[in-house]
Amino acid sequence: MKRSMKRPVRRPVKRLPPALLHWLAPALLFFLIYLGWQWIALNFKSILPPFGALGAEFLSRPGFYFDNLLATLQAALTGFALGSGLALVLAVLAVYFTVLRAAIVPVALLLNVTPIVAISPALIVAFGFNAVPHIIVAAIAAFFPMLINAMSGLRKVDRETLDVFNAMSASPMEIFLRLRLPGALPEIFAGAKLAITAAMVGAIVSEFMGTSRGIGATIVMATTFLNLAQMWVAIFVSALTSLALIGLVVLVERAVIRW
Amino acid sequence: MPSDRIEIRDLSKTFDRDGQSVLALTGVNTSFARGEFVTLFGPSGCGKSTLLRLLAGLERQSTGEIRLFGQTPAEASRLKNIAWVPQSPGLLPWASLRANVRLSERLNRRADRAPDRRRTPEDADEVLRDLGLEDFAEARPAQLSGGMRQRAAIARAFVQGAELMLMDEPFSALDELTRDAVRLRLLQVWEKHRKTVIFVTHSAAEAVMLSDRVVVMTPRPGRVFREVPIDLPRPRTPDVLDSPAFDAKLREVKHVLRAGWEDAP
Repeated sequence: MKRSMKRPVRRPVKRLPPALLHWLAPALLFFLIYLGWQWIALNFKSILPPFGALGAEFLSRPGFYFDNLLATLQAALTGFALGSGLALVLAVLAVYFTVLRAAIVPVALLLNVTPIVAISPALIVAFGFNAVPHIIVAAIAAFFPMLINAMSGLRKVDRETLDVFNAMSASPMEIFLRLRLPGALPEIFAGAKLAITAAMVGAIVSEFMGTSRGIGATIVMATTFLNLAQMWVAIFVSALTSLALIGLVVLVERAVIRW
Repeated sequence: MPSDRIEIRDLSKTFDRDGQSVLALTGVNTSFARGEFVTLFGPSGCGKSTLLRLLAGLERQSTGEIRLFGQTPAEASRLKNIAWVPQSPGLLPWASLRANVRLSERLNRRADRAPDRRRTPEDADEVLRDLGLEDFAEARPAQLSGGMRQRAAIARAFVQGAELMLMDEPFSALDELTRDAVRLRLLQVWEKHRKTVIFVTHSAAEAVMLSDRVVVMTPRPGRVFREVPIDLPRPRTPDVLDSPAFDAKLREVKHVLRAGWEDAP
């Protein structure tokens, strides 16, 4: 049989617009995860609770979850403010005093590789059954990501712009406020996004011990009573709250960084 | 003592590179008049940018003396009397074009109150207009083309109103067509203000087109090999730039550059 020389007629393939696809793809994945979750929940009751039970559990006592979330948020946000605030101050000083930089980096690294769960009991022994140990753990967790990001952002400065500033004898303070700091803002915000999530994780892990309030305590309590629904509601509440906190940082970032 | 010239005497600069000292400039002697447009011209590594940085006070010479209209570079810089145009535009990405060209108003404000102040800042909007940037005054640098950003860097220097403008290969990153257009703009604005400009370039055509005098330097260690006066009429209209006299000057400058190569040790 002779091969036809005619080119095959290509029919235009109908494609979904890419914007819709980008929205649809994650939605589909979430739906698949939901199906898998429900399948496990219905076949192995001791592993996961069905979603309906989660909704019912949350709606039966929303005040309980809000109270505990509030305790966690207080510890996490205070810790975030203290930890990342101190990191920012040290990062600024490290730009000007290289000795200080050499001194803090190893200490910060050591602090970063120390498991938070391991510090938490020691802090409870030291400070007692109050919010202080949880705030400290959140602060330690927030410290490192902010320190590293802020230091890298503040250290690099456009040499040629610096020449322009120096040629007209701009003061060190002017160089910092008008060149170095604004240039470091994108990295400082990247650090803030990491730090605020880390502070949430730190606060929750810390609440596993030494307190009856907070999302961490709620999870531990649920373990004791084998209350799967309560445990998973607490997990979802903490995840959604972290997401909302990142969203808040992004909103501030968009308002500040407009270039 | 106030003087109307820029004097450079026995200037040398040695850098320390990995424990080895490298002689970048040696025995540089020259002098420029107020209001002159001078280019420092020479091959890469001849120390022309180093010489410019010494004049700006961005680096200290190893030996010798610089007097900018009677002042040391440090004194002139303290009075905001030196405007620097870097190789990349060096604009602040977060500031509008207008805020960028008015940068000098926000820095080193002590200089504006100094009794021996000599600088007269120019109107930013007028300079933006002269450089064809008036419609983009509120735009941020990222929204502009490379040529426009470089024009903005030049506008910033003119708005500062410094007696001395130092330009370090400001057009080297631009494409040929854009470079030509920006050079013409620079010439037009300069004709209006007539500040002293010292301009570093490795393009012979650029040197001849812009300046009153081309200072040809030898390869490392950099020395002033010869100075070629460019007595072409001003304003340098396209007619002047197409004239046989321009071509002859261009050949002369290239010839001197080659002679400088052969003269180098």
